[in-house]
Amino acid sequence: MAKYVMNRLFAMVITLWIIVTITFFLMHAVPGSPFNQERNTSEAVQQNLEAHYHLNEPVFIQYAIYIKSLATLDFGPSIKQSSTSVNEMIGRGFPVSAELGITSLIIAIISGIVLGIMAALRHNGAIDYMAMTFAVIGISVPNFIMATLLIQQLAVTWEIFPVATWASPMHMILPSIALATGPMAIIARLTRSSMIEVLNQDYIMTARAKGMTTFQIVTKHALRNALLPVITILGTLVAGVLTGSFVIEKIFAIPGMGKYFINGINDRDYPVIMGTTVFYSAFLIMMLFIVDIAYGILDPRIKLHKRGE
Amino acid sequence: MKKIVTVLLSLLLLIGIVGCTTTENSSSNSNSGSDDAKQEDGTKVLKLNNGSEPTSFDPPIGFDSVSWNALNNLMEGLTRLDDADQPQPAAAKEWEKSEDGKTYTFHLREDAKWSNGEPVTAEDFEYAWKRLANPDTASPAAFLSYFIEGAEAFNTGEGSEEDMMVKAVDETTFEVTLESPVAFFPNLISNPAFFPVHKATVEENPEWHTEADTYVSNGPFKLTKWEHDSEFEFSKNENYWDADNVKLDQVNWAMVDDTNTEYQMYKTGELHTSDVPADLSEELFSDGKAQVEDQSGTYFYRFNLEMEPFQNENIRKAFAMAVDQQKIVEFVTKNEEKPAYGFVAYGFEDASGGDFREVGGDLVTTDADQAKELLEKGMEEEGYDQLPAVTLTYNTSDDHKKIAETLQQMYKEVLGVDVELANQEWNVFSDEQKQLNLQFSRSSFLADYGDPINFLESFQTDHSMNRTGWSNEEYDSLIAKAKEETDEAKRFEYMHDAEELLFEEMPIFPIHFYNQVYLQNEDVTGIVRHPVGYMELKWADIK
Repeated sequence: MAKYVMNRLFAMVITLWIIVTITFFLMHAVPGSPFNQERNTSEAVQQNLEAHYHLNEPVFIQYAIYIKSLATLDFGPSIKQSSTSVNEMIGRGFPVSAELGITSLIIAIISGIVLGIMAALRHNGAIDYMAMTFAVIGISVPNFIMATLLIQQLAVTWEIFPVATWASPMHMILPSIALATGPMAIIARLTRSSMIEVLNQDYIMTARAKGMTTFQIVTKHALRNALLPVITILGTLVAGVLTGSFVIEKIFAIPGMGKYFINGINDRDYPVIMGTTVFYSAFLIMMLFIVDIAYGILDPRIKLHKRGE
Repeated sequence: MKKIVTVLLSLLLLIGIVGCTTTENSSSNSNSGSDDAKQEDGTKVLKLNNGSEPTSFDPPIGFDSVSWNALNNLMEGLTRLDDADQPQPAAAKEWEKSEDGKTYTFHLREDAKWSNGEPVTAEDFEYAWKRLANPDTASPAAFLSYFIEGAEAFNTGEGSEEDMMVKAVDETTFEVTLESPVAFFPNLISNPAFFPVHKATVEENPEWHTEADTYVSNGPFKLTKWEHDSEFEFSKNENYWDADNVKLDQVNWAMVDDTNTEYQMYKTGELHTSDVPADLSEELFSDGKAQVEDQSGTYFYRFNLEMEPFQNENIRKAFAMAVDQQKIVEFVTKNEEKPAYGFVAYGFEDASGGDFREVGGDLVTTDADQAKELLEKGMEEEGYDQLPAVTLTYNTSDDHKKIAETLQQMYKEVLGVDVELANQEWNVFSDEQKQLNLQFSRSSFLADYGDPINFLESFQTDHSMNRTGWSNEEYDSLIAKAKEETDEAKRFEYMHDAEELLFEEMPIFPIHFYNQVYLQNEDVTGIVRHPVGYMELKWADIK
């Protein structure tokens, strides 16, 4: 096990380095510059700005400088918001995005699994159809429509919740729901299909024959196996949801991390592009690693150390 | 558990159904403007939206409206624009101009103080202005200082700090020598780039402007809270020399980036002003709720004179005259903009009180027949049997797309020419346009300071804003003359001549002038929005 973990950690660093390198050169190959303005500025002003951020150096030198500062986990200052460092941006934005993400993940996982199980147990019954219709709506209605709908109805017309911003737990409810519907629907569908499969297995028949109640069968025997596919997508889902959703955060004016991914690229804010990419990649790789470990725990047939050797 | 889920499920479905049916009445029973805007304890708190995190509250750095709209109320320069957009004494109580118009001597108020209680001195101004031009500061607004003798040389690294002609003669006397007589200098220095900074604070802590507790300001308000990316708060600055005339106790700035959300918050009273969401603009205009203010800027198109067929003047003119600006603002943008038939926007008064645009008149007209004739003539001159393919490029956005498609339609109808449309991501587009790689492209100009010369200097040969490949010696000399002229009447004459010349050769053609459209709570008064310049809250009040 320890050896497997070591090997994986080493592979993770290499993967990350490849991502950093590719992103760095791609980013500089894209036309445009962080100082592009439609308004007039003089040549000299542009040059002073470029010199200030070392953008007048050859790209390879810039790369070397970047890797060096990255080794000390310093992402450098943002060019657009010159008085803020990228580390500060992530430090401020990530906890907010994570808070929102965790809340909506809890909603999504619990309601998704419950919906899936109910649908599987009443396979082809009314509840199944209702749950799956609901899931299809959840997948096909984009979250910004969901968000606008929730604001219009619950905040503006009924005035139950505040419209936007991030000031109190009340402010968290609408964005969490809006963000949760998509993942919830995915989880519900996955749970349903694997649950149906598991419920037809021989050992479930045996359990039933022994006189166990449906509740016991589901919780003790079926669920653990049915959840494997859910765990698989959970890694990517967690990384995606926790690092922020651009759309939801924009609509609800939430000071999370989501906007940096998009605005960084639009502004050609090189340090922000790199910082967010590195952060997200590291997070995602870590999540996939945790998922692999979780497999081993949930399914004894998967033996980690053999793969690692 | 089953029950909870069923309840939850039906609730959500219900929301969906109700949501679809009640959207219409909900906008009519909205309470916009009817809420009592004042706080319960009688303090006056104005609630505004800044859109996003200010890029910087350091005056020479935050060269954009998300920084300077707010900053304009934290700090104060030597002058401040009044509600008629004219420069009035601010940190300076008066000033004299030398006879050649090149030297200004400003006398500062003795009672002008920083928020930390220290006096605002001429030295603070000297320090701040040299800091603006200093290449190490890397200010994107540094070019605004080039009017001052020695500033350009200092900024480009050819001159030194000592040779930049700004001088604190004594504690309250500040002397500036200009490169040429700049009649609008008092207007120019109301711009946030020319705000003073508290020298001792800046020297002691270079990061002074990043947090509320270290921020030192000299304007009507002071920064009392700044939660980055989330909100900031201004309170009345008791140390401000004119504090008696500042009526608001507090200004809360949210950072809501989404216009629809902003509008919803305005409707529930969480904000006092809002932009107009595009989908609702027609409705809000017809209800008379949307208010309009001029903004000094022009939406226009550039021809590339280095690409066929636009090397030909008549073909350019044909493409310009085939466009119906009136129709575009009436049926396409629907935002109550003024159609543009010249490049310089409305709002610049000449010596005899006439408006530059009105005096200059319409320099391009919509004329289908003449457009057709000119196109034929141009094709003959170039020996074209068939017009080379024309591609119109715009930066990706729904608004620009609508106008581009309208132009495409107009060219088809009027000239019988099939124009191809292309769009590019903004940054790519901007690069390509500057490198003259686009044949025919969308452009805009927003004035940095309040004088027609700011518009017209753009089209001098090789100017960074030219981007058309157009070059005309006479035009260049007219602009140069206008910049040296001390007689206002003559100066305007030169500028009118230059603008006429520009339209005789037509390297560009205008679509419309910009405006500022907004909603505002009925209880809020006195917010001033300048055509050139930034938002003023000094005189704002809540009934």
